[in-house]
Amino acid sequence: MNLAVLCSTMRVQMKQSFARPMFRFCLIANPILNTILLYEMYRNAGEENFMAYVVLGAGLMGLWGCICFSSAGDINRERYSGTLALIFATPASFPGIILGKIIGNTLISLLTLGISLLTAVVLYQVPLTLESPLYFLLALLAAVLSFVVISSMVACLLTLSRKTELYMNCIEIPINLLCGFAFPVSVLPGAVQGISRALSPTYAVELLRMSVWGVNDPAAFWNKLGILLGLTALYALLSALLYRRIDRRVRIAATLEVA
Amino acid sequence: MESVIEVQNLKRTYISRKGLWHREKRVVQAVDGISFEVRRGEIFGLLGQNGAGKTTTIKMLITLLAPTAGTCKVLGCDSFGQEKQIRKRINFIFGGEMGVYRRLSARDNLRYFSNLYLIPRKERDARIEKILKLVDLADRADDLAETYSKGMIQRLQIARGLINDPEILFMDEPTVGLDPLGARMLRDIIRRLKEQGKTVLLTTHNLAEVEELCDRLIIINKGKVVARGTPAEIRGDMESLEDAYVKLIEGVSA
Repeated sequence: MNLAVLCSTMRVQMKQSFARPMFRFCLIANPILNTILLYEMYRNAGEENFMAYVVLGAGLMGLWGCICFSSAGDINRERYSGTLALIFATPASFPGIILGKIIGNTLISLLTLGISLLTAVVLYQVPLTLESPLYFLLALLAAVLSFVVISSMVACLLTLSRKTELYMNCIEIPINLLCGFAFPVSVLPGAVQGISRALSPTYAVELLRMSVWGVNDPAAFWNKLGILLGLTALYALLSALLYRRIDRRVRIAATLEVA
Repeated sequence: MESVIEVQNLKRTYISRKGLWHREKRVVQAVDGISFEVRRGEIFGLLGQNGAGKTTTIKMLITLLAPTAGTCKVLGCDSFGQEKQIRKRINFIFGGEMGVYRRLSARDNLRYFSNLYLIPRKERDARIEKILKLVDLADRADDLAETYSKGMIQRLQIARGLINDPEILFMDEPTVGLDPLGARMLRDIIRRLKEQGKTVLLTTHNLAEVEELCDRLIIINKGKVVARGTPAEIRGDMESLEDAYVKLIEGVSA
């Protein structure tokens, strides 16, 4: 993978994404609205630290929304603007280009966490504490890595189909619900929790919440981090295998372009 | 002279399915057993009606589509399976207004594609400047492409197609959307490429352009080759290449 390709793709992606009004809505308005919604939900729920569910929940929902509608949606935008075929046929590695796009989008989308925090502080002046900042930083890095890998897998699958818009709408809300962005996974029915446990963002959210409340049991933190990194590695492996297969499949099925 | 493109009995079928429960399978034979070769340094024309299979053929040659059957070799390598060896050495230009990042400037578009074509940084900026002058976009190089006219976008496409100094340039109706001056500029660029020993494979509906530029050509209809030779050979006793073309296509379709 070429570093110049990765970095230039990240730069181009950030410029392009920020220029789109829909992306700016997802990035700025979405976390503000989600923060208001979650604050109203949790106001009388007995939760004293609004950081864990309101700020993190709204921020992560915004982050995932940006990723869905950008990392995934970009495949479709590029397909319809005729540039998907152009980038595919260059000597640069196609997975490397897609990775650059996803990293660019994810980095810019991290703003949602800040916006959600700012909204809670400005609008509600509610107690917001972060008990274990170092653990939080570590959990955030692992969460970003997990989001990058999961979006890379999704983007890769979406190159195969022209129904990208349908699929990206289908994955946004279910991931919010299944991974417990706005409430603990334990409130979900048992069978559904099984699905949640197979999704890496579930562990990322739990790690972030643990560090917000304070990590009293470091062994539990490291254990969860191990599961998150293990699942992320598994997704990365699946992604690499998929890309190898998809590189041939898209040319057989002719899905790089629209007629 | 060395062949840089070899196509033997090339076929491409598109299969699509319609319906939710009783999925109806639709098969379209876009390219149906065509053969031709292109020599190094030639300007080669690919002519035919809309839907004749020209674009599909080009897409197989530029490694974007897999052939269903037959041989499709570019610079001695299979376009499906050995694409990595081909991609650095070729480029392509599609007609129309697609294929540029409209929210980037011409310079940023070219910088990005030069990175994707793995062009060393020290060569990059000088090359971009030269190409921008060549396609007459130097004055507007830093404006966003979304503010460009149709012709300017097409010229940006041409610039992108030249960014890696390709040995073979594939052009699919490159003069679509160009005004007469733009079309002449493109013809000059094609001639200059030939002088530099580059190979050009060109599809167009402008038969005067074919007569003016192409060394040899094939005419395809419904996925099959119906004529091949130099423009003079194909014209034969007819008044113009256009008359010969119309007679050939009507003869085959009758």
